Amino acid sequence: MSSPPATTVAEAATAGATPLIGGLPDEVVIWEILVRLDPKSLLRCRAVRRSWRRATSARGFLLAHHARQPAHPVLYGYSCVGNDVMSLSIIPLDHRSGLAADDQLQPVARLGHALVRPEASCDGLLVLSILGTYFAICNPTTRQYAPLRMISEFSILGMYPHRPTGEYRLLMHSSKTAKQASSVLFGPCTRPSPENQVGCYVLALGSGQLLRYIECADAKELKLSNNSVLFRGCLHWYPVRHGSGNIMIMVFDTTAESFRLMRAPVFPGGCDDLFEMDGMLGMSSSNKAKTIIRIWVLRDYESEDWILKCKIKLPVMEIRVPWDSHDHEIFWDVVVVPGDGELLVLVKYVGRLLQVDMDGKLVTTFHHKGVRPTQLQLKQSLVRHAFFPSLEGYVVNNWPFI
Amino acid sequence: MATREAGKKMIMLKSPDGMEFEVEEAVAMESQTIRKMIEDDCADTAILIPNINSKILSRVIEYCNKHVPTTGATGAAASDTVAPAALAEDLKIWDAEFIKVNRATRFNLIQAASYLNIKGLLDLTSQTTIDTISDNSLEEIRSFLSTKNDYLPEEEQTIRRENQWAFQ
Repeated sequence: MSSPPATTVAEAATAGATPLIGGLPDEVVIWEILVRLDPKSLLRCRAVRRSWRRATSARGFLLAHHARQPAHPVLYGYSCVGNDVMSLSIIPLDHRSGLAADDQLQPVARLGHALVRPEASCDGLLVLSILGTYFAICNPTTRQYAPLRMISEFSILGMYPHRPTGEYRLLMHSSKTAKQASSVLFGPCTRPSPENQVGCYVLALGSGQLLRYIECADAKELKLSNNSVLFRGCLHWYPVRHGSGNIMIMVFDTTAESFRLMRAPVFPGGCDDLFEMDGMLGMSSSNKAKTIIRIWVLRDYESEDWILKCKIKLPVMEIRVPWDSHDHEIFWDVVVVPGDGELLVLVKYVGRLLQVDMDGKLVTTFHHKGVRPTQLQLKQSLVRHAFFPSLEGYVVNNWPFI
Repeated sequence: MATREAGKKMIMLKSPDGMEFEVEEAVAMESQTIRKMIEDDCADTAILIPNINSKILSRVIEYCNKHVPTTGATGAAASDTVAPAALAEDLKIWDAEFIKVNRATRFNLIQAASYLNIKGLLDLTSQTTIDTISDNSLEEIRSFLSTKNDYLPEEEQTIRRENQWAFQ
C-alpha cells in the first residue's frame, strides 16, 4: 500500500522552512491546532511570528475556522449612566454546562451607540437598527462596521447568502413609496420605476446595485411576524395571515428569490418562534399566559408534516420573584432558541434573565438587569468579506466599537 | 491477516519498524482512516501504518481499546453509541492519566491521531497545545512552543493594534 497523500503534503510543508511549532508538521498545526482556537486567541496568536500570521489569515483557513464555531443565541444589553444609555453590548450566550453564569455572558463587542438593537444575523454578521430608523452592518469579531444609509426607514426582514453570486443580501420591506421616502433617502431615488411602490426589496451588499423590488402578496404581514429563520436555503417567517384568513408560514427561496406559503402546525398559540433543531424546522408556541410551551417539528419538509414533539411547563413559582403578589397577572418575555441539539427557553422577567431546559427545569438565573434575549444566532467569523470596504462610512477597529 | 477469533474479526496493523499488532476490527475502526480502508476492501492483508512507530501505535491501540463502545462492538454504527454518564466519567479519568506524557510523545500522538483520524484522541492530545496558546502571553507561547519572534518591534505593535480587542 502506498503512503496517503496527506503525509507527503505535510512533509512538503515543513521542508526547508522553520516549522510553525517544532516537532509537528505545519499541516497538523494549522488544521488540528490553530483552527481549534477561539476567535480571540486566534487573533492574538498572529503576533507570535510571521508564519503564524500568514497561516491564520488565509481565506480557506478562516472559512474552516468559522465552520467550527458554535452558534450561540445573541443577547444584547445596554450600559447606562443615570438614565442615559451609553453603550450596547453584543453578548453570545455560551450555554455550555460547567460555566459560571457570568462566564456565559461575555460580550463579544461593545458599541458606543444608544438605542441600537440587532435585527438580523447570518454567518457571523449582524444587522443593527439605530433608533429604529437607520441601519448598519457589523462583524463584532473582526470589528468591522458600516452604516447602511441607502435603506433608512425600511424594515429588515432577513439576511442571507445568495449562493449563485456569493453575495450577502438583505430582504426588506418599505411601507412608503419612493416619493414619500425620498426626504430620508440619500442621493437619487434608489427605487427606479416601475418598482416605485410599497413592498419587499432586496439589497445586495457591496454590489453597487440599486434596490430591487420583489413581488409578494402578503408583504405587509411579514413585517409583523417574528425574525426569519434560514433553513434549507430558505428564509421562514411566522405567523403570516394569508388573504384566505389562514395563518401560514412564509417561505423565501434565497436562490430563486421568490416567496411561497407553507402550512403551520394545526394548533398554534400566541408568541411563536421558528428555529432549526436536529436538522428540522421547529416551532414553539406558548399559551396566552406563557406558562406552557409546545414544541412542534416539521418531520417531513416536503409534505409539510408537523408533529408535536414535546410540551414544556415553565417553573412558574421559581420564575416569580418573592415580592410578586400572587393575584395580579404576570407578564414575561419568552424566547425559544436552539443550542447544541437542545432548546433553550429564555425568560426575561423583572430585571432577570432565566434559562429553562426542555424538561421545564430552571437551569441558570442571570442577574443582569439590561440583558435582553433575541431569536438571533451568532456563529463568530474572522472571514473578511469584500463588501465591507465598498460601503460608504466603513470603519474597522474604530468608533462605534468601544 | 484477517482472522476470526471467538467470532470477532481481527485486523493486523504494522508499524514501519516492523512490529505487528493484531486488534479487533471494531477497535481498529475507531480510526476513520482504517474504517475507510476496511469498507473499501483494502484491508485483506496487514495494514501498514506509515510514520507511526510501534511505541506510539501501541498507545493509540490502547486508547482505541478503551474507547471502543462495549455494547455490540461489531456493528458498523457501534462508535456512535453514547456511553452512559458513569462510563463517560470513568473515561474522562482514564483520558487524564493517558495524556500524562512528555511533549515529544504528545506531539507524536497528535500526528498519529490526525493521520488515523481518531476524533477523540485528536481532541485529547491537541487540547494542551491549544490551552498553551489561549492562556499565555505572546512571550510565554514562544517560549513554551520553542518558536522565535521574527517581527520587528514596530511590526508587532501594528499587529497588536490591528487586533487590539484580542489583547484586552
